[in-house]
Amino acid sequence: MRVMTNRKNDWISIILFLLPALILFIGILVAPLIASGYFSFFEWKGFGDKTYIGLQNYKDLFDGTEVPFLLSAKNALLLALFSLIIQLPLSLGLALLLGKGVKGERFFLSVNFLPVLISSVVIGTLWKKIYYPTGGLLNSVLRALGILKKGQADILWLAESAINPQTGKRYSYILGAVFVPMIWQYVGYHMLLMYAGVKSVPPELREAAKIDGATDGQINRHIVLPSMKQIIKVCVIFSVTGSFKAYDLIAILATYKTRQAAVPSILLLDQTINWGKYGRGSAVAVLLIIMCFLAAIIISEVFKDREKV
Amino acid sequence: MKKILATLLVLVTAISLCACGSRDGDKDKITLTMWCIATKSDSNRASYEAAIKDMEKKYPDIKLDWSATENEAYKTKIKTAVSGNSMPDIFFTWSCAFLGDFVKADKVYCLDNAYKKFANDLDEKMCKNTTYDGKKYGVPLTMNIVGLFANMDILKEVGYNDVPGTYDELIACCDKLVAAGKIPFGCAGKETWCVTEYLESIIEKSCGAKTLDDIFVNGATWDNADVTKAVNIFQEMITKKYFDPNGVALSNDEIKGNFIAGQYAFYMNGTWNCADFAKAGINVKVAEFPVIDSSKSKLGQLIGGPSDTLAVAKSSKNAEKAAEYTFELGKLICKYGYLDGCGLPAWKVDYDESKVNALTQSVAKIVAASDYMVLFGDTAMPSDEAQKYLEFVAKVYTSEVNGKQFTDGLKAAIR
Repeated sequence: MRVMTNRKNDWISIILFLLPALILFIGILVAPLIASGYFSFFEWKGFGDKTYIGLQNYKDLFDGTEVPFLLSAKNALLLALFSLIIQLPLSLGLALLLGKGVKGERFFLSVNFLPVLISSVVIGTLWKKIYYPTGGLLNSVLRALGILKKGQADILWLAESAINPQTGKRYSYILGAVFVPMIWQYVGYHMLLMYAGVKSVPPELREAAKIDGATDGQINRHIVLPSMKQIIKVCVIFSVTGSFKAYDLIAILATYKTRQAAVPSILLLDQTINWGKYGRGSAVAVLLIIMCFLAAIIISEVFKDREKV
Repeated sequence: MKKILATLLVLVTAISLCACGSRDGDKDKITLTMWCIATKSDSNRASYEAAIKDMEKKYPDIKLDWSATENEAYKTKIKTAVSGNSMPDIFFTWSCAFLGDFVKADKVYCLDNAYKKFANDLDEKMCKNTTYDGKKYGVPLTMNIVGLFANMDILKEVGYNDVPGTYDELIACCDKLVAAGKIPFGCAGKETWCVTEYLESIIEKSCGAKTLDDIFVNGATWDNADVTKAVNIFQEMITKKYFDPNGVALSNDEIKGNFIAGQYAFYMNGTWNCADFAKAGINVKVAEFPVIDSSKSKLGQLIGGPSDTLAVAKSSKNAEKAAEYTFELGKLICKYGYLDGCGLPAWKVDYDESKVNALTQSVAKIVAASDYMVLFGDTAMPSDEAQKYLEFVAKVYTSEVNGKQFTDGLKAAIR
């Protein structure tokens, strides 16, 4: 009888402890998710009458005539890919270098982490100056290096579509121009996570390996990296899902009306606020969440397989 | 000891709660809530504050509880409030389609009754953009038009002492400027509404205000040969290097900055810029875009009109009182906004306007001589149509579509 009462008390305690988090989780994540799913089946301006239209909003997104959803999904995937092949290796390299205990470790750590602390608005404004056509830092450097010749027109890095007056050819570098600061901004963030992983490796292990004649590269490959697997997994998930949810720097550099550099979050806002199509915006939100979940599951699976091997 | 502490705590709490209660003076006051976009960084903030201060004296029985939200965030906020039936008594809105959606959803209080008292101060035509099915739903504040701003120092360099008055003169002037290595126009391609300021003016002066108005608000088709021709005229100007080629990659702030810095001879944009140009101390004149086809258009046909509006929620408990208050408040915001150079008066002027900057006064004269105003296309059209329109306009500026493709595309996408 006493055991029964204790168990009952345990359950009450568990429920009481879980309740605040559960309420927040349901209120902030689950409920809006269900609401978005529900609204995505309607033609709705956000107020007034709703008209049930079944899967039409989803068809509109995949049809691509009014909303470049497929292009935006492709852009998000590209950003995720670049994050994986540029951002994370760069972060890892920095983390391994600083984690080894170089002179001025703290200083370099802070310098590399600084972009994470700076507001995206400030970063966007700074990069706008870098990309500014006449007298902007990038074009000036290209001119100084002789890549842009005298009399040659400035490169319009942030133009949706521009024509090269010399060749008459149309070009658009806006996607790449937006990706560079986005990838650069979060190098420090992943570096810090990985740095913590590097530092968690017991120094005795390093010393033992060194006594056994292992080089720095061998130590990193056989001791540090295997022990950082979980942190790398977290970084990969953050990096990929972060790329899917990217918004701020694109909105500042390319504006929310961008066609070439559109990503799902930009479309979501554009559809709901500017187009007044809450139903279609909700459909974008649902697809975005599915993309993020799928990515997280795939990444977990990839790392699980490696763990088994 | 514990009991004493507990008693003290209860007392302190009770006193604090009492302090939160209303003052005696507020007891009989009606509290009205208002949402607007006049944030602290907004150029209209000072006119709102001055108007509200005056209103406190004029309506001592009303307490206005107001808050301002940044433009884009405000659109979400007000739409969410309309959706959740939690609107404030008075709210800022844009005229035509934006307010029209709320009216259609039966969320806005009709102001016909309250208007009677103010009919002498507010011309009927200023309420055109907020009148739906013959009923008035909005109080216009300041109004603006698209103006052709000219840097007179640059024009003087190529032999002009005044803004070219005819289209041929304007083209000749642009040719001289290009030959002299100057850039005639600056236009921000990163913000499509800036391109519409040029394109709509050219269309209006090619095919007439009525035709454009019919397309924007009266359901006429985009399949119009004159519109096609006008778009081609605009693109010809781009081809002839009248526009800064870097413009497609620049924002309006950057273009405006370049104009102030003397990099362009002309800048077509809203007349809300008058105060900034006056403050910058540059030698600028303002005119309306010249007539291109005099058989269809004439001077006095403008792009613009009253768009900034205050409206009253139907759900307001004191709707009729709020309606009267809104008219008075709107009139004062208009007055202070005009005096600050933030726009032109939608209301009749019965005060000293001699201190208004010269540029704004010039615009006021242009408006006074006008006989037709077509509201900005993206404000006049329903939101989804406006977005399709803006997408095509953006492609016109980057020469991705020509006049025929523009009208054919809009005919297929809209009408």
